[in-house]
Amino acid sequence: MSLDKVLKYTSASKTNPYAFDDDENFLKRDVTDNISHFDFKFAPVLKPAEFAKSHIDVKSQKDSLIKLAHGTTTLAFKFKNGVIVATDSRATSGNVIASQTVKKVIEINPYLLGTMAGGAADCSYWERELGRRCRLHELANKERISVAAASKLLTNMVYSYKGMGLSMGTMISGWDKKGPGLYYVDSEGQRIKGNLFSVGSGSTFAYGVLDTSYRYDMETDEAIELGRRAIYHATHRDAMSGGYVRLYHIKKEGWEFIGLEDVEDLYYKYNNQE
Amino acid sequence: MLQHKDGSVQNHQHGWEPYVDNGGTSLAIAGEDFCVIASDTRQSEGYSINTRFDPKIHKITDKIMLATTGYSADAKRLTEVIKMQTERYFYKHEKNMESHAAAQMLSVILYQKRFFPYYVFPILAGIDNEGKGCVYSYDPVGNMERVTFQVYGSASGMIQPFLDSQVGFKNQQNVDKTRLLTKEEAISIAVDSFTAATERDIYTGDYLEIYIVDANGIHREQKPLKFD
Amino acid sequence: MDKSILAEIVGDSNTGFKFDNALRNESLTSNGTGAPKATKTGTTIVGLIFKDGVVLGADTRATAGSIVADKNCAKIHYITPNIYCCGAGTAADTEFTTNIISSNLALHQMNSGREPRVATAMTFLKQYLFRYQGHVSAALVLGGVDSTGPHLYTVYPHGSTDKLPFVTMGSGSLAAMATFESKFKPNMERQEAIDLVQEAIESGIFNDLGSGSNVDVCVITKGKVDYLRNYAKPNERISKLKSYKFARGTTGILKESIHKFDIVVESDAMDVV
Repeated sequence: MSLDKVLKYTSASKTNPYAFDDDENFLKRDVTDNISHFDFKFAPVLKPAEFAKSHIDVKSQKDSLIKLAHGTTTLAFKFKNGVIVATDSRATSGNVIASQTVKKVIEINPYLLGTMAGGAADCSYWERELGRRCRLHELANKERISVAAASKLLTNMVYSYKGMGLSMGTMISGWDKKGPGLYYVDSEGQRIKGNLFSVGSGSTFAYGVLDTSYRYDMETDEAIELGRRAIYHATHRDAMSGGYVRLYHIKKEGWEFIGLEDVEDLYYKYNNQE
Repeated sequence: MLQHKDGSVQNHQHGWEPYVDNGGTSLAIAGEDFCVIASDTRQSEGYSINTRFDPKIHKITDKIMLATTGYSADAKRLTEVIKMQTERYFYKHEKNMESHAAAQMLSVILYQKRFFPYYVFPILAGIDNEGKGCVYSYDPVGNMERVTFQVYGSASGMIQPFLDSQVGFKNQQNVDKTRLLTKEEAISIAVDSFTAATERDIYTGDYLEIYIVDANGIHREQKPLKFD
Repeated sequence: MDKSILAEIVGDSNTGFKFDNALRNESLTSNGTGAPKATKTGTTIVGLIFKDGVVLGADTRATAGSIVADKNCAKIHYITPNIYCCGAGTAADTEFTTNIISSNLALHQMNSGREPRVATAMTFLKQYLFRYQGHVSAALVLGGVDSTGPHLYTVYPHGSTDKLPFVTMGSGSLAAMATFESKFKPNMERQEAIDLVQEAIESGIFNDLGSGSNVDVCVITKGKVDYLRNYAKPNERISKLKSYKFARGTTGILKESIHKFDIVVESDAMDVV
């Protein structure tokens, strides 16, 4: 699938067999009217987007048959030596833990990371597509894409599906000419630049820990430990978060994987420190 | 669509329900150099059995099997699509698709129907390009993860905790948690999972199909389960 | 009708139908507090009349949703020494309904000095069930032999009844009725009747997912009842291939503390040897 296909808008009346021209029928239109390509298959109903939203349960809020796996506590923050990215590893679907070993940090390329919150498939699919598009940018422009541009590519892609039930809350982080970069991007079309973010149902707990101790001029060890503690405490209080803490540090040379730690081991580690 | 007196419009979505849960259970366990894939063959709807023998495991290549649960019609269509694509790959490249490539392809095929999903919980299992046992599990829209064991279907709530204990060695101390099962252990655990689940899950039963994939190829076994 | 007007007309009476609890349950459900899940007997139950009396039959599976709650429950309930009743529906409802009617018939017998008739049991049941307008979820097959001969009834949750020579009830009723319709004949011999009941129950066990496990049979003849619990066991579990005993030490010890108790023996005046 190519970008122009994804982003191309044409008038609904030309492409959409269900298009209506009078005002009365305007309400019968569907968000899918704006999408002109047919790479994605839609339900053969009048309002395919409504079908998608009513039959697919992305966040354990509906009683539908199709329940998707979703991710939960993620965080990323900038500091003087780069960016720290940390996540938990639990996926839930409905009232069951679908997995305790999810990789919620998506390695877009050696100097760009994305995180996963919301629909797991939405995040991994679109961030994989983003990786492909970033590589095309490199080949076309003979230089790496900036974090700002990469995050904007992602926002534009998912924005064209707005209102169709995509669920994605992600942090795009990396290192470019301007130094460390960090953006929050979600499926509603938001894109925010910032120094510190946390996304997911456990984010309130993570923010509590982060806001207490965060300083921009932290040492690297201190920053890694802050990320670890913030995720650990979120997994402790949020039932939808758990499993392992996954940590990354983004430096000038690209990202570095710090480690994967079982939250059960961290429980005993932190308890014994008191 | 209903137009109210105050001009507001109530949106009546079609009562179109294209999905049915046909019950049944599928599991896969990866070993060092083999993979065990097992599934019951009952296909049901409500309190009725449609057929006692509807295999849910399909051969994709000489090294890869696909096990499904959920809506049988969607599962069959999905299997066809994957078989078609792996076959095209074979004639185009004159070699079989490796499991990691097939796994990623399955993820994309599922995601292409993100807005009208296949109601299927697929497990792709077999031997990877290093000769190691591999299991890939998915949600209905293609979220993928490589795991060492997975069970989906009507009895997954009973079997997954059992596998967490007996294959993943969870919540146990003084055991080697990285140990992989022998072929005989994996088969016994798969069989015991199904005989136990058949006792308590009304949608699981009739026959058990077991596939063992290893360097020697694909070996199939069948056992009767209970018919009630 | 307004409650106060109703009170004026009929007086502040406690008699008549009351559905306060049904309304309460409805409002609880709409508030998101559903009733707890009751165990249902997804069930195949049958009965037929043969030459010398009545044969009742039942499977033994009880379900809670898609889970088998009890693999060997008894669905043929005692009413009086000469009357038995198979129950389908909510397990608690069938159990208590048959118990209540059993008690009432015992009192009725002491009062009248006569052996209860099947028709009396049927009337008690339908009056009881009608009062609750189907909210007591009991679908019954009632059979027995009394001074007027063998009788067989079905009683539906709303209180309607049928009197027939062969009947089936529950989710497996279609499968069982198919067997009866093709093979039933009047005035069968005892063993022939039992075999047909077994076959009908087994067709429910194998073809209906709500029914399963074993076959219970109850043969009622003049002055004699044979309750043949687990008459057939067509679904025995096969043994496990592996032992799942955990090695000693699998449960980790986080901390250990040993307390030594002083053992004090006390006694008082009441403890006379």
